[in-house]
Amino acid sequence: MAEDQRRTIWTRRRFLTAAGATAGAAILAACGGSKATETPKPSSTGAPAATTAPAATTAGSAAATSAPAATTAGSAAAGTSAPASSGGITLPTGDAKNPLKVKEDAPLDVVIFKGGYGDEYAINAEKIYAAAFPKAKVGHQGIQRLAEQLQPRFVGGNPPDIIDNSGAGNLDTAALVAEGQLADLADLMSAPSFDTPGKTFNDSLLPNSQVNGLFDGKQFVLNYVLSVYGVWYSDTLMKKNGWEYPKTWDTMLALCEKIKATGVAPWAYQGKYPQYMTNIMNQMIYKAGGTQAIIKIDNLESNAWRQPEVKSAVEALYQLADKGYLLPGTEGLTHTESQAEWLKGKAVFIPCGSWLENEEKGLVPDNFNMVVKPTPSLSASDKVPFEGIQSSAGEGFIVPAKGKNVAGGKEYLRILFSKQGARFFSENTKSLTVVQNSADGLKLGSAFESVQAANTAAGSNTFVAQYGTWYKKLQDEAKDKMGALLTKQIKPADFIDKVQKMADDVAKDDSIKKFKR
Amino acid sequence: MYRHKYRFIVPFLTPAIILYGVFVLWPYSQSFYIALTQWRGVSAHKKFVGLSNFDKLLHDRFFWNALKHNGLLLIALPIVTICIALLFAALFTQGGRGVPGANAYRVIFFFPQVMSAVAISVLWQFVYHPNLGLLNGLLRTTGAGNLARTWLGDPRTALWAVAAVIIWQAVGFYMVLFIAGVQSIPTTFYEAAIIDGATRWSAFWRITLPLLWDNLQTALVFIGIGALDLFIFVQIMTNGGPDRSSDVVARYMYDTAFDKSEFGYATAIGVALLFLTLTLSIFTLRVTRRERIEF
Repeated sequence: MAEDQRRTIWTRRRFLTAAGATAGAAILAACGGSKATETPKPSSTGAPAATTAPAATTAGSAAATSAPAATTAGSAAAGTSAPASSGGITLPTGDAKNPLKVKEDAPLDVVIFKGGYGDEYAINAEKIYAAAFPKAKVGHQGIQRLAEQLQPRFVGGNPPDIIDNSGAGNLDTAALVAEGQLADLADLMSAPSFDTPGKTFNDSLLPNSQVNGLFDGKQFVLNYVLSVYGVWYSDTLMKKNGWEYPKTWDTMLALCEKIKATGVAPWAYQGKYPQYMTNIMNQMIYKAGGTQAIIKIDNLESNAWRQPEVKSAVEALYQLADKGYLLPGTEGLTHTESQAEWLKGKAVFIPCGSWLENEEKGLVPDNFNMVVKPTPSLSASDKVPFEGIQSSAGEGFIVPAKGKNVAGGKEYLRILFSKQGARFFSENTKSLTVVQNSADGLKLGSAFESVQAANTAAGSNTFVAQYGTWYKKLQDEAKDKMGALLTKQIKPADFIDKVQKMADDVAKDDSIKKFKR
Repeated sequence: MYRHKYRFIVPFLTPAIILYGVFVLWPYSQSFYIALTQWRGVSAHKKFVGLSNFDKLLHDRFFWNALKHNGLLLIALPIVTICIALLFAALFTQGGRGVPGANAYRVIFFFPQVMSAVAISVLWQFVYHPNLGLLNGLLRTTGAGNLARTWLGDPRTALWAVAAVIIWQAVGFYMVLFIAGVQSIPTTFYEAAIIDGATRWSAFWRITLPLLWDNLQTALVFIGIGALDLFIFVQIMTNGGPDRSSDVVARYMYDTAFDKSEFGYATAIGVALLFLTLTLSIFTLRVTRRERIEF
């Protein structure tokens, strides 16, 4: 759900985006007083960064950027297959050369969501593809609002060969799956990796990183960017006050009381997008009840929302509202507005994913030292230790089943998800990918170090929730009712009743395709 | 010459009619069929399901919730907008004079109309900002701080906060419409009335209002149709939230199609909305029909 979580959030922002980017920006700037941080940033991105990526190269115009992957990838030269290197690009040989049987002269049609991550990384992968298949003509489009532009192509039966289906207004993946529009990526998963000799494609990725691309056990989506979700704070602020991040919910509440006494709000959240808090709820449910508790919800099992773990998580979050620990007015703020308040020190904790630092680039005060921590444990009987965290992949790539060059689309993914492709991405965007060891030795910033630390500490205690991707209606209802809960419009019991009712409605509606995990 | 009238008119009209047919009428007629299907919008496959989308519509609590808000606005928007616009129009023009500085006011009140709805909505979000916004700031500095609230984040105020913005931007247009009407009333009527001892107020009731009836009728239909839409304002300022407390049918339709990928069902909502709008327009024109006063 991680990816969808963000997707939904960005969808909400689509008009802010349009407005902010065009008319809004100038007028708001003219508004004087309003600080730059309050402007809804044009992050129409499925990706964090709101700033326009510097990717100036479009439509295959071959700018001579150097592929920095040469050394790393080259170091994999051991063994039987000696990689043929040309111009910083390392091409595989032997079994790994063309395992998917790509037609060498078939054109490849690539459509990339050009958001916070830009599309330079995709163009880089296209160059590698062109080097591997010199006879193929590679077409590139870096666009936004994919659904509007690609829906007609799907309906008309001539979709592109590979799509980065992300950002505001992307295509509904569950609908595409239900209509049989996506190619099963099983053969790609078991194919040899592009530049990690001796490993299959699947083994070269982080374990379990592709679970949220599974629909009824079939791999239809491959997610590229690794995000960690949790509770963020300024380490400097906490240390200055002698506060320590609490490991249990009771100590969290006790700390909140202390924080409140100093005149600062303990928590802020992205009020207009309460899904940031449903995310926190998911994490607490997971930690209290283990993956099983989440799977029950994903599978629409009867009374899944009445599990005791759900009840405790919802009640715990309600305490934040009931005890007055939320920043006054935060329920009316957008993500950027609330995050701006948080950066100004008006609140200590805020929920978010690891794109946060990138999203706030240029706005973070010096010495802020933002770090992420897992949600506090609900009780001593939690099934997952405190270190357990939501760490999941986003920026989903799909290969349309009715594309003209399906094998080429998969081969493109094999290249993009190679060590050299991923390293280029990490250097270019300061974000981690799901490709193992691809960012080794890179320095990616202070928040990032905490993300890596959290990820390492969690080990295998990570999870994804799928109900948001599978059943957007359920996600919406949970989000709406979370907003109502945190403004004390409803009580925890009402929250559970309402969301359970929607889960039942979705389960009963035969027009909605059901998935199981 | 007269006999060849059509030979002259037809070539001019044809391109417009063809364009209108291809891009408006044809899609409209298609939507009647799509409304009878289950279509997810990502393939050519449309499953015919008869009227079941409309049956679903009748039992859809979110649709009724949105429609209720449209209904509330349908009552509130025309009354408030027309009252304010009439007041301004009368103040600035009646009897050929108007209050001092009338011209400046006309420009100022019309100003929101020249801004795009998107820009207006974004701007007002900042006015409504709970901590830094102009509105709460004003309330706090004037000692009415206890009235300050999270306007767009509170289900009790969100819809009306949006409605206020809509009125703010619409008043200028209707003011101009009414000013045009008032100006076409001969000043001799007012002069005669004044000689007979009429006050400004009774001149408004007895002369201006009756002679403005056509404009009022137009305004009612316009605002009524507008009140059934309001997509842009709601989508940007609240996106129907919090917890659907400011949802309207147009936004719900958009959400159903483009977020939930239920294009068939969304089209059914669209068809329902079309008939609602048509019914309302005809109804308004009927009940406000009066005998024309020629002058």
